Amino acid sequence: MVVTKPAVEKPATAEELARRLHEAADAKLAVIPVGGGRASGMGNPVERADVLLHTTHLDRVIEHSQSDMVVSVEAGIALDALQAHLAKAGQFLPLDPFHSPGHTIGGLLATGWTGPLRFRYGSPRDFLIGIRVAMPDGKLASGGGRVVKNVSGYDMMKLHYGALGSLGVIVAASFKVFPKPLHDVTVANDGGWEAADEALSTPLAPSAVELSSDGRVLARFLGSPEAVDRVVSGLEWDEADSAVWEKHSRSGPEKWARIAIPRSGLRRIVETLPQRDRWWASPGVGVAHWAIGADSSVVRGIREKAEAAGGTLVMLAAPDDFMREVGAWGAAPPTIDIMRRLKKAFDPDGILNPGRYVV
Amino acid sequence: MLPKSVIEELRRIVGRESVIDAPNDLRIFERDGSIEGAMPDAVVLASSTEHVSAVIKVAARHHIPVVPRGAGTGLSGGAVTIRGGIALQVTRMRRILEIDQVAMTALVEPGVVNQELSLVAAQHGLFYAPDPSSQKACTIGGNAAENSGGPHCLYYGVTTNHVLGMEVVLADGSVHWVSGDAPDHVGLDLCGVLVGSEGTLCAITKIKVRLLRIPPSIATLLAAFTSIESASQAVSAVIGHGIVPAALEMMDNVTVGAVEAHYHAGYPTDAGAVLLVEVDGIAESTRELTAAISKILADNHGYAMREAQTPAERELLWAGRKGAIGALGRIKPNYYLHDGVVPRSRLPQVLSAVGEIGEHYKLPVANVFHAGDGNLHPNILFDLRDRDVLHQVEAAGEEMLRAVVELGGALSGEHGIGLEKSAFMPWIYSEDDLDAMHRVKDVFDAAGILNPGKIFPDPSRKPVHLAGRTGLAIEAKWW
Repeated sequence: MVVTKPAVEKPATAEELARRLHEAADAKLAVIPVGGGRASGMGNPVERADVLLHTTHLDRVIEHSQSDMVVSVEAGIALDALQAHLAKAGQFLPLDPFHSPGHTIGGLLATGWTGPLRFRYGSPRDFLIGIRVAMPDGKLASGGGRVVKNVSGYDMMKLHYGALGSLGVIVAASFKVFPKPLHDVTVANDGGWEAADEALSTPLAPSAVELSSDGRVLARFLGSPEAVDRVVSGLEWDEADSAVWEKHSRSGPEKWARIAIPRSGLRRIVETLPQRDRWWASPGVGVAHWAIGADSSVVRGIREKAEAAGGTLVMLAAPDDFMREVGAWGAAPPTIDIMRRLKKAFDPDGILNPGRYVV
Repeated sequence: MLPKSVIEELRRIVGRESVIDAPNDLRIFERDGSIEGAMPDAVVLASSTEHVSAVIKVAARHHIPVVPRGAGTGLSGGAVTIRGGIALQVTRMRRILEIDQVAMTALVEPGVVNQELSLVAAQHGLFYAPDPSSQKACTIGGNAAENSGGPHCLYYGVTTNHVLGMEVVLADGSVHWVSGDAPDHVGLDLCGVLVGSEGTLCAITKIKVRLLRIPPSIATLLAAFTSIESASQAVSAVIGHGIVPAALEMMDNVTVGAVEAHYHAGYPTDAGAVLLVEVDGIAESTRELTAAISKILADNHGYAMREAQTPAERELLWAGRKGAIGALGRIKPNYYLHDGVVPRSRLPQVLSAVGEIGEHYKLPVANVFHAGDGNLHPNILFDLRDRDVLHQVEAAGEEMLRAVVELGGALSGEHGIGLEKSAFMPWIYSEDDLDAMHRVKDVFDAAGILNPGKIFPDPSRKPVHLAGRTGLAIEAKWW
């Protein structure tokens, strides 16, 4: 087999990106959209890769309206750069994905990766208010807008969020942003699941609760100072340096999976993970990340249990052979036919990420 | 008129009494909460998913339009059978099937009334956050179809943020579950696409929603301002201080007068505008936030400020806000309500344009709106018995929306595009944008039997020729 190296394209504008994509589609070349590359291990190994279409030169803040608390950016901007920009106005995007730093906004939207703050703020699915996408036919289509509340037409943001670039390449996005909390305190405890439950049931709900396989629990409280201090003192845990969150967000093993499950069933599944393997979980959300040391049959077994409990196990990265053995996604959803029709409507020749996603 | 044989088919599905086709009986299904109406050929009262599926199969076979319908409180013509056909009424599907106190979720049928869900959930210390002003009557199914909002969506988010999964019937009558209780799913987010699709992609037969813990402490503040401008300044100042209240509502002088005459809630009738601000949480945080907000409002020329001292007083303040549109009946019997949304900082500009347009058409306008979200609700007040007034009202509404768009806004914040705003979609979306949405429509309903004539502009229907009034060109789309 002759393997040629894929061409690398780094367009500087959305229009140019759309043009490149269209040219590739015309030539039936397989296109792999690339952002920061932090989630490049997600999905099945691609069947073909002719063009690597990087968004990293689309890295502008298009508009940040401080008083409206809305920001529009090009998709290739790094999350860290955007946060630094917003911080100058005392604002932030409540998104703290794992395997940081280096994620681009487009990559995070395409993969749907989130972090501990999801417990309080939800995922970008909840605060993404506008999107612009380049499609294989060369068109650029926008949905939503720059207002925080909008039901004008179909919710195209939902169509592309988490679709792994299968229907088009995200070139720009608008978000509702949030004020930096007045007070931000993190406390820690080694009490495992019970301690996590204790933090989750405090009267002022924490903004993030993370539990690790060593039994360590981190709880982060955001809000008005008096309220936060009262709840934190009631817990009687040790105060932790807020730098622990940055360290936590760097987690991104070579071989790992995300288990997502209705949260009341999370503990039961996580407790069946191999003793030696490291994991960390957001018990309030129902998500756990597993650094896989076991072999593929163990992963398949855990996936079966997760699916039986109404959840999923999705591989986030692994060597190609391992990924093929396990399969990135697990059982196809019962609505797979509708998803295939959507894929066909937007990418009729299947040139975007062939074989990588569910459709 | 549907052929007799089709009516018979429908009767075999739902029972003789549950198909309405006598013209006089159909008349009450002619409208929703908006002003344009059209008669359905038949109304089918469904009691189950099986009914909905079987009815849609019949409609698909005979190529008859089907318009799913809840309580009919919608404000954009979403439930109006503009191409005739079947109004598929789901209000008999009104069971709360399950409330899971541990998972904090509820599974409901589409005809469950919004407020009823919160009342039942309250027995478990929980509530359902989206709270449209019509919550005493509107249904969860209608809310999901329209992606409805409400005052408390400022902090808690709109319907789509609270729908975890749905059972839906597609245009071929097939029944599917989309999404569910897990936080992440494999594959495309069909649930997210279907919420807010206004009955054009599916009929909704079950909804799984998220419930929230009732906050232990709630504080509701009222403040008066001499003008809408100064009240808008205060809104920006509150948010600018990093405070996102649970709700931040504004009413103008016209509205306050009508509301006070009806509810006697103690609104200051001399004020140019009144703000209603609510914060919730634990006692410490509501106390701190109330103090901070009071100071900001006072610094921004708020006066006659007061805080509700009892739950009854709070209820009364909210009754005034949520009943505002009804109270406007004291001024004129009919109203026409738009719900454009602008970036918050553009509120003073858009409201002055709205005022100017009202004066131009000699129509009274009452403003009551979700100020924190920038979501305005200008009510154009009129008497349908006045000759030719409707045309003037529609023209005024169109101009107001045009001003919204010129200021970087969107056509609808929570009511939907439906029938009334479809002609304006090209103002905010390019041909390519609309083409992408069309592809979605074609995937779900290529034959176009589900709620035809909605959302997408129908060039044969309504010419759109009005120039703007703000002196601004529409900004080059969004980017």
